[in-house]
Amino acid sequence: MKGSKDEVRRLSRALVDLADRIRPCGVCGNFSEDDVCGICANPKRDHTLVCVVEEAFEVGAIERAGHFGGVFHVLGGRLSPLDGIGPEELNIASLLQRITDAADPVREVIVATNASVEGEATAVYLEQRLRPFEVRITRLARGIPVGSDLEYVDGTTIAEAISGRREM
Amino acid sequence: MRLSVLRLRHFRNLGVQDLDVPPEGVAIIGDNAQGKSNLLEAIYYLETFRSFRGARDRQLIAFDEPLFRIAGALESSSGKREVSAAFQAQGKRKKVTVDGAEMDRLTDGLGQLAAVVFSPTDVEMITGGPAERRRFLDIVLSLSDARYLQAIQEYRQSLARRNAALKAGHPSALVRAWDPGLVRAGACVIERRRRWVERMATPFREYHSAVAGGMGASMRYRSSVDVEGASSEEDIVGAFGEALKASHEREVRLGTTVVGPHRDELVLRLDEEGGGLDLREYGSGGQRRTAALALRLVEARTIREVRGQDPVILLDDVFAELDAARSERILHLMEREETGQVILTAPKESDVRVRRDALPRWSIAGGRIEA
Ligand SMILES: [Zn+2]
Repeated sequence: MKGSKDEVRRLSRALVDLADRIRPCGVCGNFSEDDVCGICANPKRDHTLVCVVEEAFEVGAIERAGHFGGVFHVLGGRLSPLDGIGPEELNIASLLQRITDAADPVREVIVATNASVEGEATAVYLEQRLRPFEVRITRLARGIPVGSDLEYVDGTTIAEAISGRREM
Repeated sequence: MRLSVLRLRHFRNLGVQDLDVPPEGVAIIGDNAQGKSNLLEAIYYLETFRSFRGARDRQLIAFDEPLFRIAGALESSSGKREVSAAFQAQGKRKKVTVDGAEMDRLTDGLGQLAAVVFSPTDVEMITGGPAERRRFLDIVLSLSDARYLQAIQEYRQSLARRNAALKAGHPSALVRAWDPGLVRAGACVIERRRRWVERMATPFREYHSAVAGGMGASMRYRSSVDVEGASSEEDIVGAFGEALKASHEREVRLGTTVVGPHRDELVLRLDEEGGGLDLREYGSGGQRRTAALALRLVEARTIREVRGQDPVILLDDVFAELDAARSERILHLMEREETGQVILTAPKESDVRVRRDALPRWSIAGGRIEA
């Protein structure tokens, strides 16, 4: 880094400011500077198509891949009984509430949890919880390497996994 | 496959040594507790990146040293290769390289050496509980079948999490969420174990009979899942799923998963003329040692068949507990089986008869090797 000490100070202050402003979106749990994130507030997005991811940074990965016009729901993790993480520790109740309360009925939930052992079990459990609702439940197509986080998968692979999604 | 150079840095009592290993192998002669087994342990570490004697990595570092490192130059018909493994006490950092490239996952570097160790403790594979024999299957298959390795890892992950959910008394929907993954990986494990056992049953009988001087023995895979009618992996998926459902009440009561490949057994019996006795329960000391040798011989055969390499045979003082007749027969068998390099340890010269005394000798004292 070539910048002067002042520049470094300015940059670090900006980062602290940013960290102070960032909070979870009240609807989907995505990173946001406002109560509701830009995606949830955007009327051009398809609010009847909800993509469920484990972590907020995975929203960014899917957005960068393009081609996805729906909205998100961030679980904030995955089922992990060895770490004491069950459904109560994840944003599952808020997802079900969101589907119940939706102005335009949700028609499809894409379960985009990771292809790891824990991500798969989380998907199976979500499918069970979503079954009573009249929504189509889909899972990303295989092709994303087992155990890899969406964050590290390239955009084309993500786009193909979404377009090739299948019924659970 | 053969090991041409072995470089040792602070592994147990072996200090800093670079050894040129003769192509045909070597007999290492020394009194007890001088480091003979340590040397074989170091060599086999390059195969599995852990101690075959069950020691923790930390115990393998020489006293007062921060780390150990082992490197081996390997040669085979398909070319040369350099494998290294190092472990640092601080931060418990293990590093494995193949031809200089660090492996992200240790499993990517497994099985480079294509070696088999014969050790006096092998008899525990026969006398110990079913877990000992499952461990044997897991090692043999993990080293020869990449898909098995992946399946057994996924199975263990799913099982640990499912058992945690059962133990915590979670509702059944939460327990059952692990089932699809558990069943998929578990069916692959059962199917591949079963197929290997079927394929190796005849060689096992023949090796046993050759070492015992007549008496054969059988090897059979007995699954906790009823897989009698299941002919494909898909069939086993179905059978395993059913077995899980049927045992749900019991697993909830016991707080642990009660069916699956983690409850399966490799059954070893003497043939009919020996009364069909289960070797674990009724075998004599000599019979059990013979069966353990036969298991190692089928392991070597698997390396030969699957990897197309003559395995490096490591013999850790195996003749000490065998009678003279059995020792003769096993030596004869090894000559017949076109083994590759043979590296053996023995306490005294007279025990070394492999290849009609053709093996070069090294002596070892206080961890120092003299060629
Ligand atoms: Zn949002």
